[in-house]
Amino acid sequence: MKKILMTAITNSISEVMETMFFMPVETGPETILNESGIDLNTALACRLNFTGDICGNIDLISPAPLVAELASNFLGESKDELTWEQQFGTLSEMLNMVCGNALKNVKCTSPFKIGIPGMITGTDLNGCAKCTLVETMDSKMAILLSTSMSQ
Amino acid sequence: MSYSILIVDDSMPMRTVLKRSLAAAGYGGSRILEASNGKEALTVLKGEWVDLIMTDYNMPEMNGLSFLKTVKTEALFKEIPVIVISTEGNDLKIKEFMDTGAAGYITKPFTPEALRDLIVSIIGEADYEENIDDSDNEFDF
Repeated sequence: MKKILMTAITNSISEVMETMFFMPVETGPETILNESGIDLNTALACRLNFTGDICGNIDLISPAPLVAELASNFLGESKDELTWEQQFGTLSEMLNMVCGNALKNVKCTSPFKIGIPGMITGTDLNGCAKCTLVETMDSKMAILLSTSMSQ
Repeated sequence: MSYSILIVDDSMPMRTVLKRSLAAAGYGGSRILEASNGKEALTVLKGEWVDLIMTDYNMPEMNGLSFLKTVKTEALFKEIPVIVISTEGNDLKIKEFMDTGAAGYITKPFTPEALRDLIVSIIGEADYEENIDDSDNEFDF
């Protein structure tokens, strides 16, 4: 089930990135988060919880310059003029869209319920966990999926 | 004719994108009102004339479904068409919104063209239409 979910997420992120952020991406290899090449001390990260046939959370971790580029594309504003709220809001909305779009395509006995995305810090992340890299032309972000069976 | 459109979404960037999408779809001359959840939106509705509501589903304080239910049971507001814009696209959820009285439902991610087609089908064309296909960049706002 986790593999099905991860496939749905990687398909979803391509669609969301191209439709709303005008940035084509390719799914990269699975790797340990600490070895991903993303500096977790300076990266921006957010988390979204979901419940359903399986429960869990999805973390999206991105270098700050990539978030600024995404926010600029999304909001149509210069990177230099973006506020922190706009940048974090953009990352949160991106995760929200990716998650919602992915979960609707996963066959399940009852619909998934999605939480509200929230910011997390490097210390909230499990650096030893496996993540999937999503590569843009000149940067990359990481998606970390943690699941447990529904009670 | 000029419209008054209320955007209800807890995400400030998403409200910005919706405003830009409305402008790209030809509704740039509309008066845009904003609220970050259903509760705030009800306060706006009590003081402003609104022709169309566009609401998210997943919001704190009062979510889009509770907001829609309230709008559709209040005599003053029940005739206002409500479009739900949400990441949640499962058929049961969409049916629940439509059964509650939503005029339309669009899932994110969406294109400005899809949003425009839905709005036009509900409230009609804007008089001050801007051509959204006049650029090589389909999202050139």
